[in-house]
Amino acid sequence: MRTDTAGLFERVSDLLPPGWKPAGTADVKRLYSVIEGGPGDRPGVRRYSMLYANTVRVSRTMSLDEVLAIFESELALYVAERARRRVFVQAGVVGWQGKAILIPGSTLRGKTSLVAALLRAGATYYSDEYAVLDERGRVHPFPRPLSIREKEGAPSTKRPAAELGAQTGIKPIPVGLVAVTHYKKGARFRPRRQTEGRAVLELLAHTVPARRKPRRAFATLSRAVSGVPVLEGARGEADRTASALIERLDALV
Amino acid sequence: MLPDETLVYDLKRDKAHCLNPTAALVWSHCDGETPVSEMAALLETELGVPADDSVVWMALDRLGRENLLEGPVELPGEAARYSRREMMKTLGRVAGLTLLLPAVSSIVAPLAAQAGSCIPQVTCTSFVVPPNCTGLPICENPKKCCRTQGKKCRAKNC
Repeated sequence: MRTDTAGLFERVSDLLPPGWKPAGTADVKRLYSVIEGGPGDRPGVRRYSMLYANTVRVSRTMSLDEVLAIFESELALYVAERARRRVFVQAGVVGWQGKAILIPGSTLRGKTSLVAALLRAGATYYSDEYAVLDERGRVHPFPRPLSIREKEGAPSTKRPAAELGAQTGIKPIPVGLVAVTHYKKGARFRPRRQTEGRAVLELLAHTVPARRKPRRAFATLSRAVSGVPVLEGARGEADRTASALIERLDALV
Repeated sequence: MLPDETLVYDLKRDKAHCLNPTAALVWSHCDGETPVSEMAALLETELGVPADDSVVWMALDRLGRENLLEGPVELPGEAARYSRREMMKTLGRVAGLTLLLPAVSSIVAPLAAQAGSCIPQVTCTSFVVPPNCTGLPICENPKKCCRTQGKKCRAKNC
């Protein structure tokens, strides 16, 4: 990646995916260029902030923050789609007694609020955005700050897991429970148990490289849910659901 | 392959299917040579499903609808009448048997962007070229996605 101002490089570096490290070779597969806009040379003229991926202009806007937000999500998606030894599934993940609780779901389905409730209940933080699975079906941490929305439809704010009193996971752990759920006002969490096959389909529906690497996605997801209870159903308040999930997992462990 | 189910990915249509044991057994014997009556007998021997041709026809119907067979399935007049509900009425009186009726669950595999996080509307508008504006969900309105429309991206129904 490159920027046109030195100060910007540090801000951009902070947006790299968790676990990044400097490349060992000079071979550049993808080059991101972030250009900072602002006042132009002449009065009344403003320059756009822009983002390029290789030679393709991805974004052009007056707001640098917007460009940086796009850079962050664009890069995460690029990594998620092309990771060679990991399968990225859009899901929240917490650890409990050495097992992972996986909450697959797209944005605005109440995933983050459930993850936050589980953290408040003492779970270890793994991810708010992607479940990163290895070939053995274990979940690796992808601990970005949680994107919490104070109310429905509002923009999210970033909060580190430590602010919620939670520790962040370091080691990969096996999946202990999969909860396919979404928030429904007034609902009581009375989930049905799903078959492993249906669970794989549900996870595949949120798997980033599902089309690019279907064979590997199937194999990884099948291993991840093998022998694991999969619960499906609408939920009400996050705290109650978090307690119910922990109870279920405790009974199994 | 799972212990009790079979997963199939259709590379042409980018659809994933989960076949329950009955549907999987019928599917695995769709070789153009095995007669329906023989499949029905196999279902009884291997899974304990009553040897009834209509169960096989129902499975073929489900598999055909999901394009999991090479050619279209022409159901005999009588079999065409059977719906899953009717089948449950006639065969499903035995406890647990309804679980063995042929079932095929399917999903369309998502594009990478569809499985990614959402973006605000303003961000969508600031995208200038595909592929970045092809399918990312808009945070403020989960039913809308960032799609190509002219030179810039705009929200459209997903």
